[in-house]
Amino acid sequence: MKTSKAEILREYGPFPGKDSVAGVTYDGEHMWFASGDKLNAVDTAAGEIVRSIDISAHAGTAFDGKHLFQIAEDRIQKIDPLTGQVLATIPAPGNGGDSGLAWAEGALWVGNYRGRKIHQIDPETGAVLREIESNRFVTGVTWVDGELWHATWEGDDSELRRIDPQTGEVLHRLEMPAGANVSGLESDGGSQFFCGGGGSGKIRAVRRPG
Amino acid sequence: MDSMIAAAARALAAGDLLGALKRVALRDDAPALALRGIAMAQLGDLARAKALLKDAARAFAPRETVAKARCIVAEAEIALVSRDLAWPPRELAAARATLEAHGDRLNAAHARLLEVRRMLLIGDLDDAARSLRELDAEPLPPALRASYEMALAGIAIRRLHTRTACDALERAAQAAHDAGIPALAAEVEGMNHVLRIPAGRLISRGGARPLLLGEVEALFASGSLVVDACRYAVREAQTVVPLATRPVLFALARVLAERWPGDASREELVSRAFRGKEADESHRARLRVEMGRLRNELRAFADISATKEGFVLAPKGDREVVVLAPPVEEEEGAVLALLADGEAWSSSALAIALGASARTVQRSLEALAQAGKVHAFGRGPARRWTIPSLPGFPSTLLLPGALPES
Repeated sequence: MKTSKAEILREYGPFPGKDSVAGVTYDGEHMWFASGDKLNAVDTAAGEIVRSIDISAHAGTAFDGKHLFQIAEDRIQKIDPLTGQVLATIPAPGNGGDSGLAWAEGALWVGNYRGRKIHQIDPETGAVLREIESNRFVTGVTWVDGELWHATWEGDDSELRRIDPQTGEVLHRLEMPAGANVSGLESDGGSQFFCGGGGSGKIRAVRRPG
Repeated sequence: MDSMIAAAARALAAGDLLGALKRVALRDDAPALALRGIAMAQLGDLARAKALLKDAARAFAPRETVAKARCIVAEAEIALVSRDLAWPPRELAAARATLEAHGDRLNAAHARLLEVRRMLLIGDLDDAARSLRELDAEPLPPALRASYEMALAGIAIRRLHTRTACDALERAAQAAHDAGIPALAAEVEGMNHVLRIPAGRLISRGGARPLLLGEVEALFASGSLVVDACRYAVREAQTVVPLATRPVLFALARVLAERWPGDASREELVSRAFRGKEADESHRARLRVEMGRLRNELRAFADISATKEGFVLAPKGDREVVVLAPPVEEEEGAVLALLADGEAWSSSALAIALGASARTVQRSLEALAQAGKVHAFGRGPARRWTIPSLPGFPSTLLLPGALPES
């Protein structure tokens, strides 16, 4: 297992009127983040919100190339990003204990915060396909280049962890600086992660190792 | 934080208590317990709230120190509002230190205000003032700001600094209004009321009249020699001779002051200071000894001389001599004065606040209850005492957010 310090490349926010950041995702053009009762699209160059969708948005956010997925209470909503319309709703596997959300390989991956695990589910039905155990509270979840990463946040400590999707073994730990807690996690598909900063209202871009 | 907890926390913050409870009703993990505790406290079920918050504080993982500390602060606030003064103040201080160390400025300030309120209740004015000075009020949100100004006013009222108290209460009223919490505004108004009702009774040259707090302050500044039966002291401007531990000397001083400028008879002095029926030779001898002691105590302001009938007080310079008595004098005045805040008190909390023994307080309460002046409810250790006639303004709970993210 490798351990290194997270390198913060840039901080976004806090954004006016948004007191916290839950899930984050990236659609190739905009970064989206959940702020309780809204999903907000951020222009990453300007660092400003360019659009918001009025929708319950309490935890993880994901993008499958066409739709946004957003956890609210104990369900996952599938949203048309153009119209803001909810197209479908499936039950969340953690029954409300759910935190992060990612899309990969035709499936949704859902972090279970205090349950310390990640569920892989069928995006059509919500049926649980697989369960990966972690030994830490799981917040954000993301896939990039075949690597499964999740964020943890326990007390004061947060880190990004790359784990083996088969065994759950921790392969790499990226320690966040003190006070920089991670609620949501998403990769931009390239060299950086976007990390939702919870109650700080910030989103931090972190260099992806390797 | 997970999805349902986030949803419940948002509902709670928006005042949707039932919405918050509905979302976490069936969950027993630490954040759910904490949210349920805060919601139950806001709904007024303090016993249930206390139990839930205690469970929550225990259930958070050891490294979740901020969440734990917030639960302890909420628990302390409930204890304070329930007048459970035996609740360990050290735990609250430790929780505040934790919150300060983790940069949770607002909840740390909230914890400190609770500490100050407790000190005020048990009469530790100096500690309360010192602790309050360490708090930067500038960045506080309106509700905490109101609480801060009320603490300032509380100290000022007890110290008879009327102007300071009025100014603080004016700022408190504005802050309570800004916070939009009617119960808080009512509490400020309740304190304002204290400034408009008699705080004492002036006995001077055979007459008596009620005094407002501001008039008491002016009296103390006037240079008169005041025999203060509210604080068991004799004072003149800034010089104070405390006689709280010397009841006989105080009783003599009071009789002399009430009779001034005339003299007080031996019979009256003996009957009021020694509770003797007549001034026989042994009483006369004792009276001479005690008068000698009192003369010694009051040497700075006055002399005491023997007359044919008894003794007379002769103040130095051109001073008036007056007595400041409590607005209503009764044996159990101190107990009633505490109950006058409209809250339900346990007898042990009253004993802590008065620095008296539980037995003494119990006796006073029983006497007052027989006279119909106080009511008790509950049994055993849960028994609480109130004044039935006083409108009970609520002591508003300004609970901390239970979760670090909120």
